[in-house]
Amino acid sequence: MGKPVLEIGGLHKSFGALRATRDVNLAVKEGEIHALIGPNGAGKTTLIAQIYGNLKPDAGQILLQGVDITAKSVEERVHLGMGRSFQISNVLMDFTVLENAIIAEQARQQAAFRFWKPAFQDSALIRGAGQILARVGLQDRQDRLVSDLAHGERRLLELALALAADPVVVLLDEPMAGAGPEETQNMTQIIKQLKGQTSILLIEHDMDAVFQLADRLTVLVEGTTIANGTPAEISANEAVREAYLGSES
Amino acid sequence: MQQIKGWFTAAPLLWLIVLLFALFPIYTTLADLPFWNDVAMRIMLLGMAAMGLNLVLGYGGMVSFGHAAFIGIGAYVTGIANFYGLDNGWIQIALALGICAVTGMIIGFLSLRTSGIYFIMITLAFAQMLYFFFVSLEQFGGDDGMVMNRSDFVFIDLWAPLSLYYMIVAALALTALLLCVLVHSRFGVTLRALKSNQSRVEAMGLNALRFRITAYMISAMICGLAGALFANWQEYVSPDIMHWTRSGELMIVIVLGGLATLAGPLLGAVVFFLLEEFLPEILAHILPAYAENWLLVFGLFLIAVVMFGRGGLIGVSQKLRARFGKGAG
Repeated sequence: MGKPVLEIGGLHKSFGALRATRDVNLAVKEGEIHALIGPNGAGKTTLIAQIYGNLKPDAGQILLQGVDITAKSVEERVHLGMGRSFQISNVLMDFTVLENAIIAEQARQQAAFRFWKPAFQDSALIRGAGQILARVGLQDRQDRLVSDLAHGERRLLELALALAADPVVVLLDEPMAGAGPEETQNMTQIIKQLKGQTSILLIEHDMDAVFQLADRLTVLVEGTTIANGTPAEISANEAVREAYLGSES
Repeated sequence: MQQIKGWFTAAPLLWLIVLLFALFPIYTTLADLPFWNDVAMRIMLLGMAAMGLNLVLGYGGMVSFGHAAFIGIGAYVTGIANFYGLDNGWIQIALALGICAVTGMIIGFLSLRTSGIYFIMITLAFAQMLYFFFVSLEQFGGDDGMVMNRSDFVFIDLWAPLSLYYMIVAALALTALLLCVLVHSRFGVTLRALKSNQSRVEAMGLNALRFRITAYMISAMICGLAGALFANWQEYVSPDIMHWTRSGELMIVIVLGGLATLAGPLLGAVVFFLLEEFLPEILAHILPAYAENWLLVFGLFLIAVVMFGRGGLIGVSQKLRARFGKGAG
C-alpha cells in the first residue's frame, strides 16, 4: 500500500441552502480497496458525481496521481486513468456480451475512430475483449444478448466494462445493488481478486461485503467525512456507531 | 477477400434492389416505357438520400428533421455553378460534397449539443433558414427556381440514353457500399453504441460529439450527392426540393423500410413511391371516395407496418419468416 492515487481535499458543494458536500477529505492509496459508506442521504451520490466529473464542486481539489482534475471533463478523467461502474447497470443492452467488450477494447486502444475494418470480426479486438470478460468470468456468456442476461450477470459485465481500460482507480458504485446472496458472494470474490491490480473506491450498502473487502473505510454523514480508518477502527469508532452503524443494527 | 465478401453478404436485400435497378432499363426498353426510367431515377435518388439520413437517424439515434436542406445545397451548388459557366459535373459534385460537409459540420456542431425534441427543432430551424435563403436569391429564380442544363461529365455524355440513369445507379451502389463498410467499422459500432447508451460509451473515454458530428457530415454529403444528381435529372433547381415536407418524406421512407437497417431506406423508398404512384389509381377502383385523399390510406398503411413490425417492412418480413418459414431457415 503506497502513495495515494486519488486525493480529495476540502471539497464543498451546495444546492441552494442544501450543503450536500461539506469539507470532504479522502485519499485512496495505491492498490487498496477503500470503501465509502454512509447512511442514505449522506451525500454519496453527489460526492461520486464530483469525483467522476459530472458535477463541479464549489470549492476544494481532486487529484488523480498528483494531477489536479478538479476542472477536467469526464473524458479527460477517463484518459487519466479513472474508471467507474454505475449503480444501475449501464451496459449496451442491444449488443451481445462480447460486442460490449469489443467496444470497450477499441476505446481502451484509443482506436475507435476508424472507418474500414469490421469491428466485430477484428481478431485483435476479440482477443482483448476476451481478456476483459475473463476477469469477471463472463467468457462463456459472450454470445448472449445483454438484454437476455440475468441481473447478476449484467452487474458483472458492468464491472468488466469499468475495468476494461485498466484504470488507475475505479469507482464502484454499489456493485451489489439488487443482487441476491449468491450473486453478492460471487461479486465479493471477484472484487477481492482485483486487490493489488487497481485501486478501488467502493461505495456499497452491504456491510458484510464492505467489511470483507475494504482495507480502509471513510464514513460520510450529512455531507461530511466523520471518520476514516481500518475496518477494525471504524467498527470501534463511537461517532460512527452513533451516526450510522447504530441506527441500522 | 473475405472482408469484401462480408460487406455484400451483410445486406443481401440491399444489393438485390440495387441490382434490380441496374437491370430495370432492360424491361423499360423492351416494354417501351421510358417514363418508368424517370420514376426509377427519382426513387433511387430519394432512396440514396434516405440511406444517408439513416446513418444519423437509424444508426446514430439522432432525429434530424432537416436533411432536405443538404439535398437542396447539393442541387443549388450544381445549378449555381452551371449558371456561372462552371459546368464540369465532377467539379460540381466535389463542390457540393465539400459545401455539404462544411454546412453539416456547422449545423451538427451547434445542434448536437441538444437532444430529443430540441435537436429535432434546431435541425428543422436550420433547414428552414436555408430554404428561405434560397427563396431570397432572386438572381437564381427565388421561389420559382432556375432551369439548368445537364452538367458536363467529360467522359460521360449525360444526354446519351440511360447515361444519367447509370450514373445514378453507380452513385447508389457507391453509397450502399460506403454504408455497408461504415456501419460495421469501429466508427459505426461506436456510433450504434452511443445510441444504445451514451453515458457508458463516455465512461470508456470516448467523445460522443466527435463521432456524431462525423456521422452527421457523412450523411449530409450523401444527401448532397443525391441533390447534385437530382438537379441534373430535373434540369431544374428550386427551393421546392428542400421543402421541410421533403425532410419528413425521408423520415417516413426510413421508418417504413426499417430504421437502422442497410436495406430499409431503399426498400422504403421503392414502396413509398410505388404507393404514391399506384395507390390513387387503385383507390379510384375500389374506394373512389378516398382516391384524392390517398395519403389518408397511406397513413393507415404506415401505422400498420410500424405497429406490426416495429422494424418497418424489414421487421415485418423477419417476423413473417420467423412465423411461417422456420423450416426454410
